[in-house]
Amino acid sequence: MNEDAGFFRKLPSALPGLALIVLTMVVIRNWIEPWMSTAVVFGMKGWLVKATHLNYILLGIILGMLYRNVIFGGKMPAVLSDGFKLSRLMIKTGIILLGSLYTVNAIVQLGSMAIILIGGFVILTIIMVLWFGTMLGLDRSMIGVMANALSICGVSAAVATSPAVEAKASHVAYAIATILGFGVLTMFISPFIGHALDLTDLQYGAWIGTGILNSGQVLAAALAFNPNIAPGTAASVAEVWNIMRVISIPFAVFAVTVWYWAGKTELGEGGKRKGLGTLLVEKFPVFVLGFLGMVFLTSMGTFGDVGLKGGPAASDTVKMMRLWMTWIFGFGLVGLGGYIDFKELRQAGGAPLKLGLIVGVTKYVLALVVVFLIKDYLVAI
Amino acid sequence: MGFKNVVVAVDGSEASQEALNCAIELARQSKCALTGLFIIDGGWPDYIGNDWQSSKGARQGFLDYIRKEQEEQADAARKQFEVASAGMATAFSLLSGDPTEELLKIANAASTDIFVISRRVFQVSGRPSLKSLAKTLALKATRPLLLLP
Repeated sequence: MNEDAGFFRKLPSALPGLALIVLTMVVIRNWIEPWMSTAVVFGMKGWLVKATHLNYILLGIILGMLYRNVIFGGKMPAVLSDGFKLSRLMIKTGIILLGSLYTVNAIVQLGSMAIILIGGFVILTIIMVLWFGTMLGLDRSMIGVMANALSICGVSAAVATSPAVEAKASHVAYAIATILGFGVLTMFISPFIGHALDLTDLQYGAWIGTGILNSGQVLAAALAFNPNIAPGTAASVAEVWNIMRVISIPFAVFAVTVWYWAGKTELGEGGKRKGLGTLLVEKFPVFVLGFLGMVFLTSMGTFGDVGLKGGPAASDTVKMMRLWMTWIFGFGLVGLGGYIDFKELRQAGGAPLKLGLIVGVTKYVLALVVVFLIKDYLVAI
Repeated sequence: MGFKNVVVAVDGSEASQEALNCAIELARQSKCALTGLFIIDGGWPDYIGNDWQSSKGARQGFLDYIRKEQEEQADAARKQFEVASAGMATAFSLLSGDPTEELLKIANAASTDIFVISRRVFQVSGRPSLKSLAKTLALKATRPLLLLP
């Protein structure tokens, strides 16, 4: 299963899938989206956009899902598969480029708010899952996987945690299906809620960055609310929150592993637990360093002015980078849609689904309430 | 009806033991070959496909971990098959790929006279979609199929 080995050597095989992704986004942005914003439906011009809040991001995800689940009957054809796999790399590249929206000062300002909110929610969610999971009589490994999956960032956390808590494949599979199913739902309803409550980009970004479980879906929900990429937009805020969550993966894996093996120690097996240092080396997402490197370069003025609130307008280089980002994210999210498998999501169920829904909905609603309560303390950059 | 080759899916579980007992009985009655098979689920890289935030080590570490668990299950399945069919003319196949697709190929192969499978087989190691494995086989198999509870 060493599927990543020699990936770039296999780049030519990725071309058909990439071509479909690029073509899809070009068609959406040049024809479908403009048509939707001018078409007269129910006597109102642009009703399709105003009523559905569909923009190129959500349309891209929907088409990606249609490719897999309808047109190709549930599985990407082998000829397209490598191209869709590359979508991971595109989104990572986009996130690194997002670092160009911030100076060090801005990231410290926004990041300090994010640390408090994210830190609080990660700890609270882990405690909730450990408690509810035990009440529902779930297997200890399953609770461990669900605790990190629901508190940090879905699939990444489930994948990072499962070997440390000896989770069975079926545990991970059901945890992932639950999280992705919940995430798909929140990805589509959050923009509606955000607009209905008249949230600002900052409030909305903070809310979904805290409340939505999966990183890709946070990005999609942010761009669905406001497709613009600039300092202070929903995507820029939500991604700072998201980066904070991702950084917490090794720490949360460590905490849950300690909890898991504490129970096992009675059986004399505690020696299998890994230390925090090892986990930091193994589990730290390296692309975060790329993001921080970009923030540093931006602070040094490498790309010119970034257009922060009250400052000079963004430079042409920065504007061009932001335009690239909209395309890169668009491509990446068509790929993300292509990985949403209705067959898998439909079959999720049982106690993991119950636990996922209880904790997921609680976290989602509570995050909105908290963002409302602290809205005066949220400072725009 | 005499069979030349009875094929049975085994995964080391209680459910597959029942299917295995039934397949052995059929093979003994027909005095024919018995083939056992286990599929290592190759669908995991795709299943965690949108896991783009993980470090490469975490992602590959997880895939290796799952592979190891499935290899252990394959060993358990082989042992279950060999113990139950001791003294018979048998073969055991270890395949890799999407279990539904691979089992469908076997269920439609000309060399399969009857395919015996429990509807609960591969549930312990599988992804949620494998819950509908039996239904897919029942709808699409072109060779005789014996589905057990």
